[in-house]
Parts: sequence; structure tokens; C-alpha cells
Amino acid sequence: MEEKRVTVNDDKSFSWIRSEGEKRIATQNLIPGNQVYKEKLVKQKGVEYRIWDPFRSKLAAAIMNGLVDFPFVPKSSVLYLGASTGTTVSHVSDIVGQSGIIFAVEHASRVARDLLDRVTKYRSNITPIIQDARRPKEYFGVYGKVDIIYVDIAQPDQTEITIANCQRYLKSKGFLFLVIKTRSIDVTKPPKEIVRLETNKLKNDFDILQIIDLYPYDKDHAMAISKLKK
Amino acid sequence: MHSVILTELGIIITSNDDNGEDKIIKSFPFSDATGQYLAVKNKEGAPNEMIRYLKEMQVGFLTNDESLLEILKKKDVDSQIMEESQIEQIQSVKPQWLIDGGFAVDQQDALSKLREFAVSLSSTKVTQVSESPDQHIIQAIKSLDEIDKIANAQSSRLREWYGLHFPELENLIDSINGYAQIVIAGKRENLTKQTFEDAGFPESKIQMLILIQEKSKGGDISEENLLIVQELAKQILEMHNVRKNLEEHLKKQMKAIAPNLAVILGDAVGARLLAKAGSLKKLAAMPASTIQVLGAEKALFRALKTGSQPPKHGLLFQHAMVHSAPRWQRGKIARAIAAKAAIAARVDIYGAGLNETLLEKLNVRIDEISKKYSEPVYKEDNRDKVEQQKQRMHRYNTDDDYYGGGGDNRRKHQKDRHTGYDDGPKKAKRYRDDAYSRGNYNDDDDDDDDDELQSRWPQQQRRRQQQQRRRPMFNAVCDQCGADCELPFRPNQNKPVYCDNCFNNDGKNSRRYKDDYYNDDDDARDRPRERGKKIRNNTTAAKNNRKKGKMRQRFGRKKSNSKRR
Repeated sequence: MEEKRVTVNDDKSFSWIRSEGEKRIATQNLIPGNQVYKEKLVKQKGVEYRIWDPFRSKLAAAIMNGLVDFPFVPKSSVLYLGASTGTTVSHVSDIVGQSGIIFAVEHASRVARDLLDRVTKYRSNITPIIQDARRPKEYFGVYGKVDIIYVDIAQPDQTEITIANCQRYLKSKGFLFLVIKTRSIDVTKPPKEIVRLETNKLKNDFDILQIIDLYPYDKDHAMAISKLKK
Repeated sequence: MHSVILTELGIIITSNDDNGEDKIIKSFPFSDATGQYLAVKNKEGAPNEMIRYLKEMQVGFLTNDESLLEILKKKDVDSQIMEESQIEQIQSVKPQWLIDGGFAVDQQDALSKLREFAVSLSSTKVTQVSESPDQHIIQAIKSLDEIDKIANAQSSRLREWYGLHFPELENLIDSINGYAQIVIAGKRENLTKQTFEDAGFPESKIQMLILIQEKSKGGDISEENLLIVQELAKQILEMHNVRKNLEEHLKKQMKAIAPNLAVILGDAVGARLLAKAGSLKKLAAMPASTIQVLGAEKALFRALKTGSQPPKHGLLFQHAMVHSAPRWQRGKIARAIAAKAAIAARVDIYGAGLNETLLEKLNVRIDEISKKYSEPVYKEDNRDKVEQQKQRMHRYNTDDDYYGGGGDNRRKHQKDRHTGYDDGPKKAKRYRDDAYSRGNYNDDDDDDDDDELQSRWPQQQRRRQQQQRRRPMFNAVCDQCGADCELPFRPNQNKPVYCDNCFNNDGKNSRRYKDDYYNDDDDARDRPRERGKKIRNNTTAAKNNRKKGKMRQRFGRKKSNSKRR
């Protein structure tokens, strides 16, 4: 028997879908029939949705943990640092649609291979950039400035790298989503302390809107959402 | 002022006209965009046509790219880098530049061409990395280690299975190679002298095998079961072959790609370090101190976190010079090797060939260490204590070579500074198993392997030594009967000492009947508590629990509390 699924909320760029008796986040599949990481595809009123797993994607985890501002909308332009194999990137790609654009920066070639094969091959709104995020000058294929910068890189100086990228590529009043990986920054300090120190570094240029602890989806990770002051 | 602008699809030359506006005077589209763009970015060269054109103009240029600037300077073209704001300006209207430069028809075309470029350049970069030979070394060593693990498990299964039929074989034959050959030869009763000779056993062993074969306690095995066991045996022999080939291959590859690393560390350890680092380039970029503890990350981070002793060696422990050295020298030797390995990796990445002085110098240094530190050294502030302790030992007439140091120091060493392996005993066991499997493969030098095993596992080795050593006893006079006796502890003037007889017979002294042990108020816990009086649960378990709580306070939260943040 077909399970009854109801779209609970559709006023945002993602949807809440009831699947297997649970309320889950999903995005409308940009390329129907295409799976990126063996996620579940759910069809509803002729529209195909991809279930967004918060254990795999920190953006989904942030939504689950009460994200307030969600600036990702159709036509957004996004600079995504640390695209990895493209799990989150693919969902953002669903959201921004064909007229939006994502510049997906990834340095490690092994995961970049998966990014190219599984994601950018099918989704024409993603521009892959295999380059070190430390050298924003060297990005290729990028033009203009973007609405949102999303950073998920495991480097001790991730906040400094982020700021350098924002100065070059973020529009005024643009959003910054920064995943603070406390274990990559310093193992000797308590996670809370690191989140405080890192967000302090942002305070010069940004208004901090929200800080979300990603527990239980990710341990010792926090997401800082902030907006460029000028 | 003239400008040279590098874009993904080609190079544009502009000049300022009288109104101060930039006008494109010439553009050079790339015929092979990724190739030529990469050539410029890698400072290998720019299109000759363009360089010629620039030279003919004989004016100064501004450029938006540092790599391009370097190329132009090399070609004696007078050029400078643009101001940052100007570069950003170009960047922000890049699609328009592409159209004006004649590289694209319209906005849509420009964007899709840009994306196409990014995809193909990214693919090129990924391909380049996959092509580098060190990636193949990494895969080779990983598969070698995996084969060891698999073959080890399969071998013990084979012994277990065929052991139902011929259990005596298990203890007689160490090499899995020989064992498998016997299994392939078939049932117990069909084994002949010839089979044993073919499997390469010495005469003495063959005699024993034939003797035992006749009066084995094993059960009969059906033809069907035997066939499948033989299948397994064949597979093990096959794996043995693959391993041998892999090892040779690895040796060749290391010699070709990282000869210095191979000489300093040995093929396998060198390759494992490469795998841990990710690539030769990454290893070459690492400081020696990192190389020294590569593979002991867990211990290292624990040390950073809690301030305990840092690991002395990670993967490097597998290096023959480290694990065969006395315990107190290992850290020093590991450091010397790591330092030379760092240099070796850097020599190798530039392909400078084998540098023999590296190994010579390492050997000199290791000789120096083994001479200078032939005895364990204790920390400066402990030395007095150690001396005192030693003298006290002598006074109590113990073995002269007892431990060679103070009790406290010895314990410290045992507790904190063991192998430095990530998972402590668990991993140690795994490595030991690996060592066994290696032993299985080396048919000819079983004895050597045993030695290696002993020295490889310092904790075990130490335990073994301690068991062999007589427990230090102290001479004393029994306070009760006045007889001479030996005590397993150092007598203290504050407490009476008893000889074995008195100690055992006199109930009072035995711990069970000590006054303070039995709590008079035994059922206090069951009565309602008086106000303000907290009754301590004084069982051993409760004490341990309290202790745990304190430890948690000191060393971080317990698991169930992690939601607290």
C-alpha cells in the first residue's frame, strides 16, 4: 500500500515531507530521477523530491536545529568552499535552480573526482573549481560577486580563509554560512570557547545572526550565520 | 596606459584612450583553453604571438595576473601588476570582457563557456593527480597490508578446518605455505614421504610427520569436504604469490620514485608513511616532528589535550632500527630517522636521485645514540631520588641488577610511554597478528621472526622479563616468633612484620578480620537517614565510582553528558 505523504510546509525553498512516518526535509529534484548519494527519492503530486539527510549535510542539520534565516532561494548565487563529494552542494543546486549558480571549491582531488562524476556532470548550475580556498585569487570560472558564501573546510585557520574569500567575492549585505569545526581548529580548547573566539573574529565585518550547535547530527560542530555589514 | 588582461578563454590587450576609457585593441583567444591557461598559471609560458605583439608596441603594461606578470618580465616586457580594485572590477564584469574580447557571442554563451572551462580544467587537475606514481605506491602498500590481514584470517581458518582431520599438524608446521601444500596433497593416509619432501620440509621433520600421521586422533573427512578445504588452501597459496609480487613491485616502485625514502625507511615503512601523508608532495611538506608521530595521532592529541607524555613514534615504530633498540633509545632514534626521512622526501620530490650521505649520517647518529645512552637516563630532577632508591635497595640486600632504577620512575615509563600506537593494546595486537602473518610467509627464517616479535612488542617483552625475574624479597625478622624471613615488600618501622607462618596462622593480621574492615553499623544504609548526615557507601565498587566521577571532572565529560553544551 502506498504510504500517505504530506507536504507540511512549502513556503521556503525546501520542503518538509512525511516519509516513513517521520517529518523530513527535502528539496525538489532539479534533475528528476537523478540520485547523488543514494538518498531517497519521493514523488508527490508529480513532483520528485530528494530527502535531505541532516546526518550527511550540515546545512540540513542547521535547519533541523532551528535555522531562522534561509537566504538560499531560486536564482541565488553561492560560493561554496569545501564542496567535498557534493552532498550539500546538490541540495543547494536543487534550491537555486537553473538560473542560480554555485561555485563549488574543493581542493582534495579524490573527493573532487566524485563531485565531478556525480554532481556537476548532471547539474549545469554548478561550476567546479579544484583549487585551494587559501588562494581566492586563483579561482577560475568565477565572475561577479555572490549572494551567499557557505564554508565547510577543515582547516585551523578556516575563519581567516573565509574572511579573505568574503572580501573578494561576497556582495554587500551578503550572507555567510560558516561551519565552525572546533576539532579541526584546536583540540586542546573546549568547543564552546572556540566557537566564541571564531565568531569574535567575524564581528568586525559581519553581524552575527545566529549560532547553531549541530549536535546530534555532528559532534563539536557549530554553524555561524552572519551577514556582511556593508 | 596599456593593459594585458588574462581571462579563462584568452588574453585581452587594452589601451587607455584620451577620454580615459579602456579600449580593446587586440585579443588572443586560447585555442586550447585549459592547456594554455594552465601554462600561464604554472608560469611555463604564454602564446608567442602575443609576446611578440607586446614587444613590438614598446610601451609599459599593466596586468591582472601575477603569473602572467612573471612570464612577461622574463620575456623583458615592461609590465606591472594592476591595483587590487582594478582587478576586482575586471573580475566582477568578466562575462562582458569575454564578449568584448570576442571569445563569446552573448552573456549566455559567456557563462556556459566559463563553466565548460571550469569543468574541463577541474577534470584535468583530477586526472593529473591520479596519474602521479606515488598514488600507485599508496594503493600497493594498502593492498599489501590488506592481503596480509586476509591471508592471516584464512590461514587460521584452514588450520582449524583441516585440523578436524589432522589436528597434530597444527603444532608441527609453522609455515602456512607448507601446511597448504599438505592440505592440497589430500587425506592424511594418502600423504607420502614424497609430498613432505616436495613441500620442502627438512628430513627430521618428515620423520616426525610420518610417525604422527599413523596415529592421528583426527576424524575422517569426506571427499566433498576435502575438496572445498583444498580450494581454500589453493587460494591461500595464490594469495601468497600475489603478496610476493606486490612486495617486489613495491620495492621497484619505491626505488624509482622515492629512492631516498626507501633507503632511509625501508620500502614498506616508507610506503606506509606516504599513504598516511597522502602523497609524496604532502610528505615532503611535513616537518620532521610531524613525520615522527605520523600514525600516532590519537596519542598525540591526547597528549596535547591532557598534558601527558607525547608519543615518541607513530608508524616509525615499525622501522627496524626503532623497534629493535632498547626502550629508552627509541624516541631518540625515531627522531633522528624522522629528520632524515623529511630530507629524503624533499630530495625525492625533486627527483635528485639517491643521496648516499643521508643514510651514512643517519647511521653515525644512531651509533652515537646507542653509545651515549647505553643506560636508561632519567630526568634531571629525579636523579637524586633514583640514587637514593638504589642505595636503599642495596641495603635491603636485593638482586644487584634489580630494575636499575627507582620504582616510581619505572612505573612512569610503563604507564605512559609505551608504543605510541593509536589504540594501545588493541592495535598492538593487530600489529602482532600482522607480524605473525609475516612470519608465516617467511618460511626460511622462523627463528629471526620470533626475535623480531619479541622486540616488536615492548610491553609484552617487559612483562615476560618480569615474570622470569624473581620478585625482589627483603630479609627481615619476624616480630612474633623471631625467625628470619623474607618479605615481598620493604619493611617499615611503623608496622610489625610477620613470617609466613605467623602471618597465615594469626587470624588478626589477615585482612579479613581487621577491625576497621567490618563496619559495625552494617545496616545503616537501610535505616532512614538522619537529617544532614550523609552515609557513604563504602564498598569498593562505590569507591571506584566516586573516583571515576573525579576523573571525569578532570578529563572531560562522560558520554551521556555530551548534550550539555
